[in-house]
Amino acid sequence: MSDTYREKLMLAIALVLAAIYLFPLYWMYITALKSGSAMFATPPAFWPTDPQWQIYGQVWESRNMGRYIWNSVVIALGAVTVITVLGVGCAYVLARYRNVWVDIGLFLILMLQVLPASLMITPIFVGFSQVGLLEYPRLAVILAIAAKSMPFFVVLVRATFMSVPQELEEAALVDGNSRIGAFFSIVLPLARNGILVSAILIFMQAFGEFVYSKSIIQAIELQPASVGLNSFMGPNTNEWNNIMAYATIYVTPILAIFVLLQRRIVSGLTSGALK
Amino acid sequence: MKRVLSSITDGRGFDIALVALPLAFLLLLSGLPLLYNVLMSFQEVDMFSLGTLWRPFVGFENYRKLFEQPETLPILGNTAIFVTASIAGQFLIGFGLALFFWTNFPGASWLRGLFLVSWVMPGLVVGAIWNWILSGDFGVLNFLLRESGLISGNIFWRSDPNYSLWAVVIANVWLGTSFNMILLSVGLSAIPGDLYEAAELDGANAWQRFWTITLPMMRSSIGALIALGLIFTLQQFDLFAAITSGGPNNSSNVTQYWAWDMSFRQYDFAKGATISVIMIVFVMLASIVYVRSTRHEVRG
Repeated sequence: MSDTYREKLMLAIALVLAAIYLFPLYWMYITALKSGSAMFATPPAFWPTDPQWQIYGQVWESRNMGRYIWNSVVIALGAVTVITVLGVGCAYVLARYRNVWVDIGLFLILMLQVLPASLMITPIFVGFSQVGLLEYPRLAVILAIAAKSMPFFVVLVRATFMSVPQELEEAALVDGNSRIGAFFSIVLPLARNGILVSAILIFMQAFGEFVYSKSIIQAIELQPASVGLNSFMGPNTNEWNNIMAYATIYVTPILAIFVLLQRRIVSGLTSGALK
Repeated sequence: MKRVLSSITDGRGFDIALVALPLAFLLLLSGLPLLYNVLMSFQEVDMFSLGTLWRPFVGFENYRKLFEQPETLPILGNTAIFVTASIAGQFLIGFGLALFFWTNFPGASWLRGLFLVSWVMPGLVVGAIWNWILSGDFGVLNFLLRESGLISGNIFWRSDPNYSLWAVVIANVWLGTSFNMILLSVGLSAIPGDLYEAAELDGANAWQRFWTITLPMMRSSIGALIALGLIFTLQQFDLFAAITSGGPNNSSNVTQYWAWDMSFRQYDFAKGATISVIMIVFVMLASIVYVRSTRHEVRG
């Protein structure tokens, strides 16, 4: 009896902690629904008395958000495609063998993973301008993001491949499968979930990417939503309800995916990131 | 030719092809820019020579000029403060939360995972939200602090040079705490439970158990996490762009923002490259610590 009481108490404390931690998110949703004057009221209302639901449509129209979100999706999908096509095989080989070469490869990949984007953008920008890639700014951003995020993907997917028993693949080889055949019909299907979760994580990162897009894409009609949000926030802005409505439209799909797949994402992340 | 082909479909060549392609891609798009960065930091780069590879070579001139600028040392100091304060905050709060959620109760792991939303959100959105929360006259943080009697007048978080760096630190601690908590939870759950049973039989209290079992057993996780925290905080750019833009008067500027500002606001690509090179050396050192501390697990 005392045990269940204790558990209930712990759950209550945990809910309070989560509420405090997630307050900024709540504040975004609430501010978006406030009218211009309610937003600057003192004391601020912690519950919208007069929710302005039409604000989402207004912001969507006035900021041309459809175009921004579309560009974000194009860039994120492009980056995920490049990363998955190239990264899965790399992760597989690095998981399958254990020798000096694999150690060197892993070390290289971990080192390339840590380079901050805001420091790498200078040489990438100058280099891209010299080879003419800046003519295709979204492609340039996709390539830059792919190079930045692929190491993380490889580390995560490698952990997935490590958990696929090697005996299964060997059995397929004994039964007359070629290496390619065994890879596509045995190993890949078994690792499918892990690859999918890692790809979703990469998608979410690329969907919110800012430094490369801001620096490389000059044409406003090709910019993603993060750059659009940045240009919305001038230094002396007071349109906070509109900005929060923009942010709401931008992040709600990501948050929905995350909450739905939370268990898988967390376990995928923890198995790869520290091991 | 036939042998090469059959090796690719069914042999060593298959593995080599799978690894060589992505590694070549990475070396081309990460390794090469890295070297190019070092080259540019020794060159004179202006808008006219941007298109050529062989520009006038100036030796260490860029480095010398950089350290002659009055803002260089304060910005390096800001970076040190930002990194130390962010890591300390993220780690301590994250560890506290991880210890709390370690005690099993229904819904613990689901609630714990929910915290991670701060980490999957785009950095710019996090920055926008905190920009509004930290706003001087109408920010909700000032309101809460006033109501609880901690401050009497409003703090102008973003425009007061004494607080602007801390505004970004607060946002960054919020952003990174959940990640620290999740990884520390993994470390905690790996500690064998019978150690605690044995200690309890020997009469150790909770405090002694924490210091003699939990902390020593977590040593490698903590080391890896702090190195990882250093890497992540040095990557933090979006929050600066969204909250203070490095201002006012560089009071919240850090090297990773400054390098970008040099290149893309002041079009001084050589200086931008020079700052990048200096910082990348730091990041590389941190990542060597990280790789070493996880090596036995990598080999798993």
